[in-house]
Amino acid sequence: MTTVATTPPGAEASGPEPESAFDRLRALNTEGRLAAEFPSLPSLLAEVAAGESGTADLARAGQFLARVAPDDILAAHPDTTVVSVAVAGHSTVGPVAGPLTAELARHGFALRLSLGDFDGYLRELQDPESHLHTAGTDLALVILDAQAVFDELPPVWRVEDLERAATGKLAQLAVLVERFAAREGAGTLVLNTLPLHRHHTHQLVDLKSRAALGVAWREFNAGLLKLAARHERVVVVDLDPLVAQGGSLNEPRMASYAKANLGEELLARYAREIGHLARTLKGRSKKVLVVDLDNTMWDGILGDDGADGIAAATTFRGEAFGNFQKIVRQIGSQGVLLAISSKNDQEPVLEVLRTHPDMQLRDTDFVRINANWNPKDANLRDIADRLNLGIDSFVFVDDSPFETGLVASSLPEVAVVRLDEEPALHIDKLLADGWFDVRELTAEDRERGALYRVEADRQDLLDSSGSMEEYLDKLGVKVQVAVVGDGDLARVAQLTLRTNQFNLTTERLQPAEVRARLDDPAHLVLSVRSGDRFGDNGVVGALFAHREGERLHIDNLILSCRVFARGIEQTTVASLLAHARDGLGVTEVTAAYRPTKKNHRVKDFWPSLGFEQTSETEEGELGFTHSLAALPEVPTYVHLDADLGGS
Amino acid sequence: MTVTVLTEDSFLELVRDELALPLAQSDLESDFDRVVAWDSLQTLRLVAAVEKRTGKRVPVGRVLAERSLRGIYDVLTA
Repeated sequence: MTTVATTPPGAEASGPEPESAFDRLRALNTEGRLAAEFPSLPSLLAEVAAGESGTADLARAGQFLARVAPDDILAAHPDTTVVSVAVAGHSTVGPVAGPLTAELARHGFALRLSLGDFDGYLRELQDPESHLHTAGTDLALVILDAQAVFDELPPVWRVEDLERAATGKLAQLAVLVERFAAREGAGTLVLNTLPLHRHHTHQLVDLKSRAALGVAWREFNAGLLKLAARHERVVVVDLDPLVAQGGSLNEPRMASYAKANLGEELLARYAREIGHLARTLKGRSKKVLVVDLDNTMWDGILGDDGADGIAAATTFRGEAFGNFQKIVRQIGSQGVLLAISSKNDQEPVLEVLRTHPDMQLRDTDFVRINANWNPKDANLRDIADRLNLGIDSFVFVDDSPFETGLVASSLPEVAVVRLDEEPALHIDKLLADGWFDVRELTAEDRERGALYRVEADRQDLLDSSGSMEEYLDKLGVKVQVAVVGDGDLARVAQLTLRTNQFNLTTERLQPAEVRARLDDPAHLVLSVRSGDRFGDNGVVGALFAHREGERLHIDNLILSCRVFARGIEQTTVASLLAHARDGLGVTEVTAAYRPTKKNHRVKDFWPSLGFEQTSETEEGELGFTHSLAALPEVPTYVHLDADLGGS
Repeated sequence: MTVTVLTEDSFLELVRDELALPLAQSDLESDFDRVVAWDSLQTLRLVAAVEKRTGKRVPVGRVLAERSLRGIYDVLTA
């Protein structure tokens, strides 16, 4: 809703001329305190990014942020997540350092950057000793520009020469990418499509050749994009939509004198994509989109104008709001949970969502509708509690500077999208960041909204049951534990990447790494499916183990937070232990707990199932052993179906 | 567009501001080899900032050949 008093909380205390976020960053730089204050940078940078000259200011901040050594950040804040990035390119790669540092710092990541040589990409891709291949590299960026192809042309050329050069370059890249992807322990390789400049096409004066060049070029770029479909560890960033945002592709003098063939503006947009890719790889994708209603989802204020006075269609402005609703719905159809936090009474809001003819979104599209008069930060916390999800997986959208300011200052871990009074700009503002980017969608993602809504029905059953036991008995929990099949591989990898709370060792695995373990006979990779009288939950958990002689070691156990405390976790481990003793014939099973900020509630999980603690490291990692003398029982209310194979 | 005259002080301020480099007055005369974290990209960034500030196009090819901030300043104000 639109509020006239727009002083965001926190701003009133800082004197007559409040310093801008950029000024505060610059002051930290002058005082040499950027490393010491690293945890406060995401909020400052979020504010900088949302400002009027956001892109330029972020790039300027990147200049000095890039000079802070990651080790200094780690020394001050040992918990900081470090993202290791190696960059190779055809032209100068230096200019990407600033924007990349700034974008990663926005997400709280410290960047460990290694820049390759000018025009070194082919050699560095080829050479297994090069920095692109260094163990522990999260992202290997190969930044390409059109000159990579054009430099291969003879001094005077025809379009046929270009076609040959493009085909040859694609084949060469395909081989190098294939080799890179096949290498054990390599990071994620990131390529990009090559934007075509007017000075490329217009060197040809005949229109027929120019059209042929256009065809060859798009086939080349399409070929690059297809590489990503072939390899699980390869991503191709399509630069076309980033170029289409406007501005120049490069600065001709920068290109000529410094061989900076991709301009700063474009590299800044590219760096933003990489920031979100890093989030995905580190298991930090956002999961929930919380929207305001008045002047965010429709034109007008329901409380003042009444249901007949608001619009999301027919009028100029109304239609813009309707289009925004369509985009929110589109996002919701891909595994992102939608929720509402609105200062309104609940009943009229439900009435509008159920019956108003303009609405693209209906009440059933949302997993929570919090229409009340409590502060929005409290509402966001409430929604997080109800969904059993961390508040850091939330994105909050509102047109009121008061509300966005409040949430940004009191819940800095929430990503805030600051809309304004122009609804035609809502879509661009929401999509300016890839908060919900994931590597691949699974069947569970598409069903997620529905799954969470069924949760409400379970809650009703729980409320009507006398005890937890009675509830679980009535619920009729079914658990299936089985060796992971091809169809579940992506989902299992995703669980390792997304799950934070019930994740015993928080070992993140990309799909390729899950496949490698599946192919290794010493390893056991199990999926856990569950269901109950309200329906099928799909794949909700995974268990990784490997055999070492007479011992089976559980590398990790993960369970979706939707299905905690229904006996599913106990059932999974009980069936594994039975299989270890009776099927594999091992004499003991070991397991570990590695603490993170979020998994403290499973610290006592192994002891609760008869595991003895055997070790504790300085970092708090605990080791456990189960002697297999007495196996834990499957809870009586759970129906188990286990198929752990013969190995 | 208003054309701003570039004084020595405003030039140094621009360098400090845009490049966020901790420069002393004496760095104006130093060879770039002796200025912390200087590279040719800094020069180009500086050019962009100067052009924005003064509204005049800078002869980049000549600026790049200079070896000190003083040299660049002299080219800019010639």
